[in-house]
Amino acid sequence: MNKPIKALNARSATGKISNEAFLNRVMFLVLIVLFALASIFIDKYFSTATALNLIANNWYIVILGIGVTFLLVSGHLDMSVGGIVGMAGVLSAYFTQPANEGFSELGQGLGLPYGVAILLTLLVCLFIGMLNALFIAKMRVASIIVTLGTMSIARGIGQVAALGAQRSAGLPDLFGVIGNVPLFGPIKIAAAIAAILVVIALFIEKKTSFGRRTYLIGANREAARLSGVKVELHIGLLYMLSALLAGITGILLASEMKAGISTRGAGFEFNALVVTLLGGASIDGGVGSVLGMVIGALILGVVSSAAYGLLLRPEWQFILKAVVTFLAIIAQRYLLDRRNK
Amino acid sequence: MSSNCTPASLRAQKAKRIVKEIYVYIILLAVVTVLSLLKGDLFQRGNFLFPPNIANLLRMSAPILMISSAFTLIFITGNIDLSVGSTLSLTTVVHAILVLNGFPFALSLVIVVALGVLLGSVNGFLVMKLRITPVIATLITMNAYQGLARYLVPPGISSITTTDTLKMPEWMGHFSKDQVFMGLSWAFIVAIVLLIALVILQKRTLFGKYLVAVGGNRTAAELSGINVVKVVWGVYILLGAISALAGVARASYLLIGEPYTGVGAETEAIIACLLGGTVFTGGEGSVVKSFVGAIIIVCLTFGLKSVIPEYWQLLAKGAVLVFAVVLNHLLSKEAIAA
Repeated sequence: MNKPIKALNARSATGKISNEAFLNRVMFLVLIVLFALASIFIDKYFSTATALNLIANNWYIVILGIGVTFLLVSGHLDMSVGGIVGMAGVLSAYFTQPANEGFSELGQGLGLPYGVAILLTLLVCLFIGMLNALFIAKMRVASIIVTLGTMSIARGIGQVAALGAQRSAGLPDLFGVIGNVPLFGPIKIAAAIAAILVVIALFIEKKTSFGRRTYLIGANREAARLSGVKVELHIGLLYMLSALLAGITGILLASEMKAGISTRGAGFEFNALVVTLLGGASIDGGVGSVLGMVIGALILGVVSSAAYGLLLRPEWQFILKAVVTFLAIIAQRYLLDRRNK
Repeated sequence: MSSNCTPASLRAQKAKRIVKEIYVYIILLAVVTVLSLLKGDLFQRGNFLFPPNIANLLRMSAPILMISSAFTLIFITGNIDLSVGSTLSLTTVVHAILVLNGFPFALSLVIVVALGVLLGSVNGFLVMKLRITPVIATLITMNAYQGLARYLVPPGISSITTTDTLKMPEWMGHFSKDQVFMGLSWAFIVAIVLLIALVILQKRTLFGKYLVAVGGNRTAAELSGINVVKVVWGVYILLGAISALAGVARASYLLIGEPYTGVGAETEAIIACLLGGTVFTGGEGSVVKSFVGAIIIVCLTFGLKSVIPEYWQLLAKGAVLVFAVVLNHLLSKEAIAA
């Protein structure tokens, strides 16, 4: 249980950079190499458009990755984020749809202003996060079991609210704004929101005691408790944060499509976990970083777009993701073992 | 606590233990009672308890019954296998492909179960040899196996079925659909035999004792000379093989190789084990109760499908899982207190 706490500063007394900084550099190198390889083997891959598309197509996984990274650092999993994305999309549409001028049941909503609808949606997401917090932090049930359940509950709420289909009729124009206003090229406002969230997350991770406590809990929960950290509250807050971020993602994605689709976000929980693991986080807790996760998301983006460019069948995406994750885990462990010998 | 030795508290402890022993049967009884009071569209003659209706339900449920019984063992060792659903999908597709290409049933069965052994040993290898956390390792293989299952279905069609040139043989459905005994199918009988075998394995063999030892305290088990790596790896292989057998049963029931058929099966197996009182941190669990837990889920799934719209299913499933977690937590807490 008592594993040594890794050096938290960028440089330890011996003058070596920390394991975290080391891994981030290695993974950044991997990203460059993969991008170069893809540019060599795929015609017209090397372009500004490709680079911009990498950002435009992966921002949502970065937002989800923030919450999942913090949780993984504290030694917990969150499989409910994909379900929450689906639920938040449907609910934001349902709350906004006109109250009594719909043609069918699926066009009937609550007719609330969009701002209120967003707030209400996020509240429901927080409720799912509270369920996670209650069962995992308070009752100490294994996080994988609980979040598999809340994943079903969240997506289930989405399906019930969308009557098993999707809600798109009668949505006001405002609904489609935040997901669609272009900044430059393919990059839209949603990607900028993701960037802002990443900056805030980096600040929390590096500069606040909340961030550092998360690492302490992951490295040694008992030591954290004994040194006065309110462990249960902290983990609960992390789950609510993760649910909130997933809710934001769901609202943005629904706005992008101008529809609340209950199946949206299927498998996102695995993607978010993959990018976090690619970024060097470990489920054993205490290790991982938001910056690494962002690099991981870009790596996954390069791999996915390269697979598409090589005209592989879409089924390959699943197998590729699995293989990449496996290789990343093994390689990172090998590197760290050699380094810390 | 040891201080609670008054006759009254002893009686209370005994009562709690009895509740723990029988509550899964009480839940089953309650679910069946409620369902038999409802009038569902899918129920034959509109009655849940109409015998052919029950027989049909049990024929349909053979795969999940097999997987849930075996899943208990992996829970007992304190590990988890999230890839069982994908293994089910993949083996369903492979069996359908083999049968479609003229393989006899027995040969296809052997090949598919061998595939299951392979898939299970990959899980075991990742978890025990490479020491990747079980959740992460089996999440990786879950995606890999599911991807393979989809990949094996040619582009443009959604499942393996009769084509212009190849015809699915008539006997495909014999294993899961033929009514051999009181309306039950071969697949269900195999599930029962498997259940008995697993109970014997758990209660009457050294291997069963090892499982509990490993799940209770891994270090202590290692120190007392148990080869923990071999034991847990063995359970992963067993679970893979049984999931493959379940895949054969599922393919035979569907008559096609449907690559999505196993999605969510791992959640159902987890619910079944939790309802059956399996301690997810390891060391304790009963194959029979998980089997009963699986029957509860099957009744609920089938029963709810006929009284409320399909899109309520997922919410209901999640709610049942949370209910099972709470129940499991309360009862195991009592066990600690007692």
